Amino acid sequence: MSPPRETRDREEQVPLTPAMFHVLLALADEEMHGYAILKEVERRTDGKVRLSAGTLYGIIKRLNGEGWIVESSKRPAASLDDERRRYYRLTEVGRQVAVAEARRMEELLKMARNKKLFAKPNLA
Amino acid sequence: MNSSPLPRSQRIFRALLRVLPFDFRANYGHEMEGVFHEQEREIKERGGPMGFLKLWGETIAGIFRTAPSEHWEILKQDLLYGLRMMRKNAGFTALAVFTLGLGIGANTAIFSVVHAVLMRPLPYPEGDRLIFIRQRAVKEGIDDLTFSAHEIEDYRSQNQTLSGLVEYHTMSFILYGHGDPDRIRTAVVSANYFNLFKVQPLLGRSFLAEDDKLGAPAVLILSYEYWKDKFGADPGIVGRTFELNDRIHTVVGVLPPVPQYPAESDVYMPTSACPFRSGKAFIDNRDARMLAAFARIKPGVTLAQVRADLSTIAGRLKSEYPKSYPENMGYTAVSSPLQEELTHGARPTLLVLLGAAAFVLLIACANVANLTLARMSRRERELAVRTALGAGRSRLLRQLLTESFLLALVGGALGLILAYSSLELLTQFAARLTPRAREINIDAGVLAFTLLAALGTSIIFGTISAVFTRANLSASLKEGSTGSGAGQTKNRVRSALIVSQVAFSFMLLIGAGLMLRSLIKMLRVDPGFVSQRVLAMRTTFSFSKYAKTEQLVEAIKKVLDRVQTEPGVISAALSSSYPLEPEAISAGPNAFTGTFKIHGRDLAPGEAPPVGSYSVISPAYFRTLGIPLKEGREFTETDGGKGQMQVAMVNEAMRRRFWPNEDPVGKGISFDDGATWATIVGIAGDVREFGLDRPALPEIYIPHSEGPSPSTLSVRTIADPQTMSETITRALHEVDPQLAVTHIVTLEQARTESTTSPRVTASLLGIFGGLALLIAAAGIGGIMALAVSQRVREIGIRIALGAQRSKILRMVLGQGLLLAALGVGIGLAGALAVTHLAKSLLFEVTPTDPATFLGVAVVLVAAAILASYLPARRAAAIDPIEALRTE
Repeated sequence: MSPPRETRDREEQVPLTPAMFHVLLALADEEMHGYAILKEVERRTDGKVRLSAGTLYGIIKRLNGEGWIVESSKRPAASLDDERRRYYRLTEVGRQVAVAEARRMEELLKMARNKKLFAKPNLA
Repeated sequence: MNSSPLPRSQRIFRALLRVLPFDFRANYGHEMEGVFHEQEREIKERGGPMGFLKLWGETIAGIFRTAPSEHWEILKQDLLYGLRMMRKNAGFTALAVFTLGLGIGANTAIFSVVHAVLMRPLPYPEGDRLIFIRQRAVKEGIDDLTFSAHEIEDYRSQNQTLSGLVEYHTMSFILYGHGDPDRIRTAVVSANYFNLFKVQPLLGRSFLAEDDKLGAPAVLILSYEYWKDKFGADPGIVGRTFELNDRIHTVVGVLPPVPQYPAESDVYMPTSACPFRSGKAFIDNRDARMLAAFARIKPGVTLAQVRADLSTIAGRLKSEYPKSYPENMGYTAVSSPLQEELTHGARPTLLVLLGAAAFVLLIACANVANLTLARMSRRERELAVRTALGAGRSRLLRQLLTESFLLALVGGALGLILAYSSLELLTQFAARLTPRAREINIDAGVLAFTLLAALGTSIIFGTISAVFTRANLSASLKEGSTGSGAGQTKNRVRSALIVSQVAFSFMLLIGAGLMLRSLIKMLRVDPGFVSQRVLAMRTTFSFSKYAKTEQLVEAIKKVLDRVQTEPGVISAALSSSYPLEPEAISAGPNAFTGTFKIHGRDLAPGEAPPVGSYSVISPAYFRTLGIPLKEGREFTETDGGKGQMQVAMVNEAMRRRFWPNEDPVGKGISFDDGATWATIVGIAGDVREFGLDRPALPEIYIPHSEGPSPSTLSVRTIADPQTMSETITRALHEVDPQLAVTHIVTLEQARTESTTSPRVTASLLGIFGGLALLIAAAGIGGIMALAVSQRVREIGIRIALGAQRSKILRMVLGQGLLLAALGVGIGLAGALAVTHLAKSLLFEVTPTDPATFLGVAVVLVAAAILASYLPARRAAAIDPIEALRTE
């Protein structure tokens, strides 16, 4: 399910897997509960990245432990709520990590472009 | 959640969550169930069974992918924390690791022996189908008659159940042309011997059927060790020739490094090359027995079928040759797996030692559990705070178990070092019990055992300490650190641990005590000879050089005369073996026995002829060894040498057995069924030839001029015999440079060596028991000190109220004594139940020897009093004012 790990930036103090990045990305705009994160990631990747309960909460625990996301105390109106749900919010540090990761990928992409990697005819 | 029953999928999901660590579940389990529930609902709305399958697949994969890293995360944390705690409490750590190391080390060491000797299959292909066949004379009490050439042939040709049967016997030959004449241990075997064992030679070839034919050119196969040690692993050895007893032998092969059973030999030769085995006198005589028989069971045949087959053949032989197998002999043929045959002598000793080692480990466990409990009372507040901060109970249990495992693992590593360093000593010890001793090593199986022992140990002492710490946690925060109610539970647990240590120590000490008493009895036993200041050595005369009896007698006379002129020599004698000779002990008395006839006593039909053990001796034998002459006279130089047996001597066991009411001196006995008669001229005292624990057997002495060449020389010296060995060897080589002189020992050494096995068993049990005593005494001292420190205030009040200090002293001593007495009581019951298992190891001591039991009880109680004395004195010296002020 998770793409190859070599995309991981060794300079970063903490490893950031693509799945982790997706979760951070999902929380960039608004607070979400677990199921919502799962659906958001799936929707945005057109179903290419699918998280399950086990992997999602493994990631949530890690991100939480790093202080990149926190549990939010705000809850929606009772009619829309499920008492089992917890809502998560991106922290400032979490946002910086996501930005750093995005920049890193941008640099990488730039390098690939400079090499005219995309200009070459597809051999397949 | 609501209380309505959960749908099945949710129940399965919840069960699946148990794969994850407790904390993770506690934190996210609820939410995960919610997520799964919503995923399920969504798929239900969309419909389609594929969706469900996919969901379950992804869910299961996700949980199993997350679980290992989560568990590892916790383990890492706990390990780091545990290491920090170990460093912080260096004293506790050192003590625990040392105790566990001793326990695990003792077990690893003994297990490595048990594993190699009793558990591993024989290192031959399908080694479990190899068997050893024995002929027995049940009614004469002879367990192994050995085989004659006829009998080997009969069993080989008549059996239906064996795919092969081979013969084996050993001889000593002298090899010339390589420095000093060398006596080599030679195994004489059937041509298909190595095929039966499925051993392929490393170099050259195996024996062929042609090699076994009478008159075939003499060939040899060298053992790997001999080839390496004597010929520097020369790859061109095959085809080389050696002079062996006047014949040229050609090396045709070298064996791979396989263990050799039943004994190690330097070279192997086919039966045709052995001058005795190929001699007409041996081949033609059905009653001339010296061969051992190995066989391989046909595929698909059971041992029971083999046994039935063998007894059918034995029955047939009995009816065909009633003279060779008379009814009163109780003739049978039996078989046992080779593995069992090679190890049955070692089994009881090894199992007793393994049991003792297990006791040591249990005591170590109880001790470390106690130490941990003591440390836990100091950590109680820390643990209670952590519980209050939300660490789950099982989380704490897990952490404590991890800490225990760390301790046990380090202890295990120490144990492995201890076991490794004792391996050589243990191998030497085991070699006294079984030919498999050389296979002892620390391999993957032993390492796995050590790891398991460490794991099991940590679970035992970790659980004990964790469970009773847990019971206290809630109480601890409420009451502060002086815990009373819960503290008492814990003291009871600790007392129970101490009692169990005392009980196990008692049992171990009983074992050690019984072995020690046996050993002392064995050392005090009168061996029948005076072992001080006698040097003995193997002197193998070349029987091709001295083919005629007169030549041999002449050579023996020269040798003895020459040695006796050496200053410092009192007397010298030649004999077929000397008492307690290691090779004779391992060959067993049956190797030297034969039947004879008493003049004037005809055998009733079916009556078995009398059997005695034979020794060939030269005249000064009894004087040299200090064996008393009870009646009649010794042999003189004029005895024998006339080509027929004329005189013989017997020992007292022989007289008791065959002439209980008369004097055998002057009576005639015959060894050739009455063709010639020898007159008994004297009676010698009994000698324990085959072990200090084995009574003397009926023995017949024959003058050296009338029997086979005697191969050991004994010399009684004025001073330390050890200093004479070179002088005597030189003197011997002056007479005959080709005389092989080997195995030079003093009789004292031989006597000491014959008790190696009980000595090592006694010392190992003694070490185990001593350790146990020390641990248990330290435990009693520790718990009494703790009890006193917990009761300082109460004791202070008592003293303030006028209690006498001597009474306080007695009270504390009494409590220590109570623990010891309880332990001794339980240990006594345990010892009575198990010591009979060690019966076969004891000599003239019963497994319930009252003196040993009483002695051990006294020692343990005394140790308990001694250990309680310091805390008791401290209790008695409490200053009431101080005591009341401190609280």
